[in-house]
Amino acid sequence: MAAKRARARSVQSFQDLIFTLQSYWSEQGCVILQPYDMEMGAGTFHTATFLRAIGPEPWNAAYVQPSRRPTDGRYGENPFRLQHYYQLQVVMKPSPLDIIERYLGSLRRLGFDPLVHDIRLVEDNWESPTLGAWGLGWEIWLNGMEISQFTYFQQVGGLDCRPVMGEITYGLERLAMYLQGVDSVYDIVWQDGPGGRVTYGDVYHQNEVEQSKYNFELADVAELFHQFEALEGECQRLLAAALPLPAYERMLKSSHVFNLLDARGAISVTERQRYILRVRALARAIAEAYFERRQALGFPMLKQAPASS
Amino acid sequence: MKDGARDFLVEIGTEELPPLALPDLSSALADSIAKGLAAARLGHGPCTQFATPRRLAVLVSSLVARQPDQEIKRRGPPVTAAFDASGKPTKAALAFANSCGASLDRIGRAREEKGEYLYFAGSQPGRATVELLPDIVAQALAGLPIPKRMRWGSGDAEFVRPVHWVLMLFGRSVVRGKILGVAAGALTRGHRFHAPRPVRIADPSHYAPQLLKARVIASFADRRERIRAGVTAAVTGGKHRALISEELLNEVAALVEWPVAIVGQFEDRFLDLPREVLIAALQDHQRCFAVEGPNGKLSPRFVAVSNIASRQPARVVKGNERVVRPRLADATFFWDTDRRQRLADRIEALKAVTFQSKLGTLYDKSLRVRALVQEIAPAIGADVTVAARAAELAKCDLLTRLVGEFPELQGTMGGYYARHDREPEAVAQAIGEQYRPRFAGDHLPGSKAGVAVAIADRLDTICGVFAIGQKPTGARDPFGLRRAAVGVLRMIVELALELDLKQLLAAAVAAQPVKGPQPAEIYDYMMERLRAYYLETARQPGMTSEVFDAVLVNQPASPLDFDSRIRAVAAFLGMPEAPALTAANKRIANILRQAGESSAAAFTAIDSSAFEKNEERVLFAAIEASRREVGKLLAARRYGDAMKSLAALRTPVDAFFEAVMVMHEDPHTRSQRLGLLQAIRELFMHTADLSRIGT
Repeated sequence: MAAKRARARSVQSFQDLIFTLQSYWSEQGCVILQPYDMEMGAGTFHTATFLRAIGPEPWNAAYVQPSRRPTDGRYGENPFRLQHYYQLQVVMKPSPLDIIERYLGSLRRLGFDPLVHDIRLVEDNWESPTLGAWGLGWEIWLNGMEISQFTYFQQVGGLDCRPVMGEITYGLERLAMYLQGVDSVYDIVWQDGPGGRVTYGDVYHQNEVEQSKYNFELADVAELFHQFEALEGECQRLLAAALPLPAYERMLKSSHVFNLLDARGAISVTERQRYILRVRALARAIAEAYFERRQALGFPMLKQAPASS
Repeated sequence: MKDGARDFLVEIGTEELPPLALPDLSSALADSIAKGLAAARLGHGPCTQFATPRRLAVLVSSLVARQPDQEIKRRGPPVTAAFDASGKPTKAALAFANSCGASLDRIGRAREEKGEYLYFAGSQPGRATVELLPDIVAQALAGLPIPKRMRWGSGDAEFVRPVHWVLMLFGRSVVRGKILGVAAGALTRGHRFHAPRPVRIADPSHYAPQLLKARVIASFADRRERIRAGVTAAVTGGKHRALISEELLNEVAALVEWPVAIVGQFEDRFLDLPREVLIAALQDHQRCFAVEGPNGKLSPRFVAVSNIASRQPARVVKGNERVVRPRLADATFFWDTDRRQRLADRIEALKAVTFQSKLGTLYDKSLRVRALVQEIAPAIGADVTVAARAAELAKCDLLTRLVGEFPELQGTMGGYYARHDREPEAVAQAIGEQYRPRFAGDHLPGSKAGVAVAIADRLDTICGVFAIGQKPTGARDPFGLRRAAVGVLRMIVELALELDLKQLLAAAVAAQPVKGPQPAEIYDYMMERLRAYYLETARQPGMTSEVFDAVLVNQPASPLDFDSRIRAVAAFLGMPEAPALTAANKRIANILRQAGESSAAAFTAIDSSAFEKNEERVLFAAIEASRREVGKLLAARRYGDAMKSLAALRTPVDAFFEAVMVMHEDPHTRSQRLGLLQAIRELFMHTADLSRIGT
């Protein structure tokens, strides 16, 4: 009976999964944001994580972020790997002491009973050389499958995180595959309603095929190298003008351009390190500029006392 | 139990701790607390450690309730600085009295050479244990070997992972104090899901039993054994056997509080994967144990260890199977793709992979290794063509997808791919064995060509890393040179290979693209590893650091020769003649040093007719006999027999010293007698410098 009820409550479609998590984290006091409208490798690159992790101001947010990893493309032929996929990102700063319990609450909400399913936190520390950032945490296992990443940020853009931001990243496709019991990402039911059944494949398969072809075969290498140089220069100019947010967007673009060049195999092992260091230099300068800007504004979000619970 | 002695329990409750670090953290905490108690002069019984993913705990039995009073005698400030002009005590005087725990009127004076000082003699009462415990625990935690500490929330406390509770009980009472920002209490927590409510511990001895009720096996060792038994029992039904590596077992024990073994299955087709690949895929990614069937072949199933007694175990099994399948499918995909390109066709691509920025590419390295192999192979009776081919292909598997995924399969996969490419079996075997021994106690390569490549590869790495100035210092050994050096020495000594290490090091150093230290420095480094090998690994009676030094004096170029010598000396030291002869060697060395070695006549120049005393003649004859015999034995490296033969010198040497005055005033007589001693010393020195042994 208990099992039946759990299943009855459990989420079915891909979009239900997103709705459920968003409403759960909204109840936890998170600002529900929309995706950042630029290409990025992970939800961490959204300003709501990277920049909000800097400085003393409190911040709680949740959002879906489409993530692009050109090298992970498989022309739509691999049932698990995509060059474009979704992460649901939750950040809480300062990280509440019960943040793990809150996360587990979200799994319960999705219908996972922790006395039925084996849920485990397995050490997995995070480091982003491009962002000059690192943190300690876990991957969360559900019956042996990694469904989320959990990180306590310690440094971002080379700056110490005080207070510490806790970051939770759900792999939405994996969770959906598990919930729906399908073996290919393309079989995920996105929506099953009066308009009929629409799958992940209906929405994204063609995109995977075409984008893989672009990423691996057709992206204009010379033009991308040129763009990288131009974006780096523009980013530095914007930093000189004390505009960390526009500068950050140039950095995001340069990072994506670098990923495309990588997918085209245009960057050798030794050069790779040099490019990473160039992006990191930008990320550091932006982090510092952002901190200074918030300081000049008097850290506005410090003034909003948290509502009494 | 002493008056008032009680058990002490401390538990730090945390979020899930890093599994590989857990055993070290646990023992370090117990050690540091014991050290802190000793420093505070608090006697106690045995300490028990507990460690789970969510807790580190130590139980100290029968801890005394109070420090013993301490007799103290202390000198304070000079009297001139202790009182002001009006005779009032200064701050210095009051502070001194205070630090002695006494009022000023109990402070006396003492006159010393330089003047009069305040002086206190008395007994400082011992403090209550409960007052001292919080600091002892805090200091022990601060000193833990934590690779990376973290902060959380808005606090400043730093630890391995966020701390949720601290339990500190001395007997039945809570020790009041704040540890890592958390007030200590009497509450612990049970299993995260099975028993989420706080559990009150009334007495330290109730800790483990109460946690057991709350579905936590607190002892790491108990949990590990329970897992071993559970995993074993899970598959014994049909003559199957779980392959349990201690490493994986420890890791799994650090990941669960309530282990429940479950068995999953996968498709038979995955059994086409090489055994090592299948095991790595199950073990590395999923922390699962592979299972062997009755025929010794892997069986299409695995054992996972979950952290709950699930209400629906079938769903846990199914979930794990769903994860294992794609992992194995990936591995199969890599295995198939990798085999489409011959290893030999990957040589060119080695040029694009950096071995180390100053030491060139993997291609450069493989050329150096191949050159060195060509020196080693003939000396150890390996087929030069086979060994050279193996060296040429040795690094190619680093470019394959499977090795990219499972780095620990380097070499092993090269062997499989070479076989698939129809390279000669001996070449495939040598490639497969090149990284052996991988760890202390691992098997050595089984083929001579494998040994040649294994030695050459390591010597090249050692000499290269020395050349770029990255030789190991203290605990820092980023290139694993210690292990590399011990590997080379183990192969030479245990396989009885006749190799001139100095010559090989010279060749390896000369081949490096960077100029670095002389081969002699690397030889010295390797000899220190050899010392560690004898003292730690190949221990046997008589092998001491002194004995090692006695042999090292001769700087034997061949580690095998070194080995024969050190064994001979160690055996000799067990003979009845040894103490007298080592003493004689010492005495001779002293005499020669004082006299200056040049004042001794060469043995061949000694005029035996000029001897005054019979003892000289007897000794001379004995030395002559020994020189003939020992010479032959030494040429055959029969150091043991040489030492036995030299033992016969004991009586004539003793008699000589008894009757003869070496430093005779007549220069000729003196030079003759010194010549005899010099000859004896040389006879022993061929094997080792015995004067360095004993006190």
